Amino acid sequence: MENAVREKAKGLLTSGEVKVVIGWGWNRNGTRTTPVFITRPEDAGRLVWNPLCVNNLSVYLTRKFKDIQALGRPAIVAKGCDIKNIAVLVSEAQVKREDVYIIGVTCDGVVYRQELWKGELTPNIMPTKCHNCDVRNPHIADCVIGDRSGFVPPEAPAGMVFDRIKALDAKESAQRWEFWIKEFSRCVKCYACRQVCSLCYCERCITEKNMPQWIETSAHPRGNLSWNLTRAMHLAGRCTFCGECERACPVNIPLNLVNQKLITVVKDAFDYRSGYDASAHPPMIVFSPEDKENFIK
Amino acid sequence: MADKFLKRENLGRLIDSVRNGGARFVAPAIDARQAVYRAISGADEVTWDYILPRNSFKDYLFPQTEVVAEYSIGEGGVEIRGRELSPKDTVVFGSRPCEAASLASLRSVFTWDSVDEFYTAREDKTTVVTVACTNGDEACFCTTVGLSPESVAGSDVMLRETADGDFSVTAITGRGRGFLSAHSAAFEDSGSGSAQKPLFVPEKIEGVDISRIKERLARKEHYDDPVWAGLTRKCIGCGACTFVCPTCHCFDIIDEGTAFEGERRKNWDACQFDSFTLHASGHNPRDAQFKRWRNRFMCKFNFYPNKFNSRGCVGCGRCIRVCPVRLDITEVMEEMSR
Repeated sequence: MENAVREKAKGLLTSGEVKVVIGWGWNRNGTRTTPVFITRPEDAGRLVWNPLCVNNLSVYLTRKFKDIQALGRPAIVAKGCDIKNIAVLVSEAQVKREDVYIIGVTCDGVVYRQELWKGELTPNIMPTKCHNCDVRNPHIADCVIGDRSGFVPPEAPAGMVFDRIKALDAKESAQRWEFWIKEFSRCVKCYACRQVCSLCYCERCITEKNMPQWIETSAHPRGNLSWNLTRAMHLAGRCTFCGECERACPVNIPLNLVNQKLITVVKDAFDYRSGYDASAHPPMIVFSPEDKENFIK
Repeated sequence: MADKFLKRENLGRLIDSVRNGGARFVAPAIDARQAVYRAISGADEVTWDYILPRNSFKDYLFPQTEVVAEYSIGEGGVEIRGRELSPKDTVVFGSRPCEAASLASLRSVFTWDSVDEFYTAREDKTTVVTVACTNGDEACFCTTVGLSPESVAGSDVMLRETADGDFSVTAITGRGRGFLSAHSAAFEDSGSGSAQKPLFVPEKIEGVDISRIKERLARKEHYDDPVWAGLTRKCIGCGACTFVCPTCHCFDIIDEGTAFEGERRKNWDACQFDSFTLHASGHNPRDAQFKRWRNRFMCKFNFYPNKFNSRGCVGCGRCIRVCPVRLDITEVMEEMSR
């Protein structure tokens, strides 16, 4: 499968159909994968595909990366979950579908964090998203590499994230508040959550707007709370639960809980799931007479 | 030859002795599945199972956010009140040699053109008790930057673990000797005679040559070398590497509050943020991520050594471990050694 990815990349670069292939490669020691940008056909052999390929590379398609855009038309090696983000980028007019060549790879799951890898992909080192994945066969792609996956996700989503959300929902609101204040108190305002997110593509984030300063930049409890809540709200109805923000967080804030909770709320209120249809608009930016609006009491 | 010995089970006695003297005891403890430096109150909070804590202990010398002044505006005009700094005596226990070596670097920056007392007053009251490394991982590269798992620079007291889990204790500085005598009840005069546990010595990265890097960075032509963009294009521009780095020291001054009263704060900033060098005019001299990365690398291997004659990188490897895209500074060092 890895060879097929390399061959495909080589072909696309040789024909000139794309100028850069965004994919995963090895670090120097061959212990961790890292994003690579292949511009010459002879370098296509650097591409790899394995369960360590956790990064959602769709972030490199956004306008945050002007120097990558300057390289020319890109191809991107993408798992189904990564493609969900590309679909949102297309639906939000950030990328034109025809401007990117998607090399879809079928996937049996990836590791939650690369340091957990001991040479074998076991269920306990896979993130919740993989256990519930319905896009192991890429749903939007220009070509799909790999054998078709026969995986059928459970009817009711299950896994650690859902269990923890359930436990939190069962608490009194004061206890929930206490939980989140404690979790957010560790935030160091490095903004890795935002930077790694392909849907956080604003060139000027609200936290950088300082006349007036809407969100305090200090990493004190008030500043941390306002930053994390604002980011969550800006992703409501858009986040695809790719999990990159939680993976990138250097202080282990369980951002997947926030995001999955919002996804569930949006699903219940608007019957909408982001990332499946590149022509659908996220519910927060459209008005529909069919909206239930049962949150207004 | 060791001055004293510390039995592992006597750590609690040491902590009590330090705290009874009115000082803070900072040591690695587990928080959210990570070892983190924090002020602790008892030995049961301390973890021994760590390579390096997630954060650098610079947090205790140069806090992520602190109030430096307060202001109020009333009928009588503007009143500005500075913050008197009276830092607590602090013992940092369980530091590593790489990290301790960064103290001289931070000091050189904070005393360069003016003395930043918010830093120096704290450092003057800090005793660093380092434990030589018997544990490490592939991100460790102290030997590549000229340090080792038993370097003593920056440490006041050095601990070496013995095979039976206790420690031989050596005072490195006058402050360290004072520390040993002030808390002598926690230490033994002689050990069990058990051998020292072998150190974890990271393999020196063959392709890296620090003097060659300095040489190359001193020549202006490197500035436009396409190698920078090629190596660092994947950088997503977060501040994780700078915030965990023991020598990164940049900060921003901001005012927080209402139009009539508030506080002026000193907050960590990161050269990796795109707004770091954004001018009021809208112009940004570092308008692409690779330029910001080039700056960080220049800071470590050109500005620090040339301007301050100090070490910009201590090889702790935190930036490598924390990077969401696994941008490995040693791979850039290797390329820049060519």
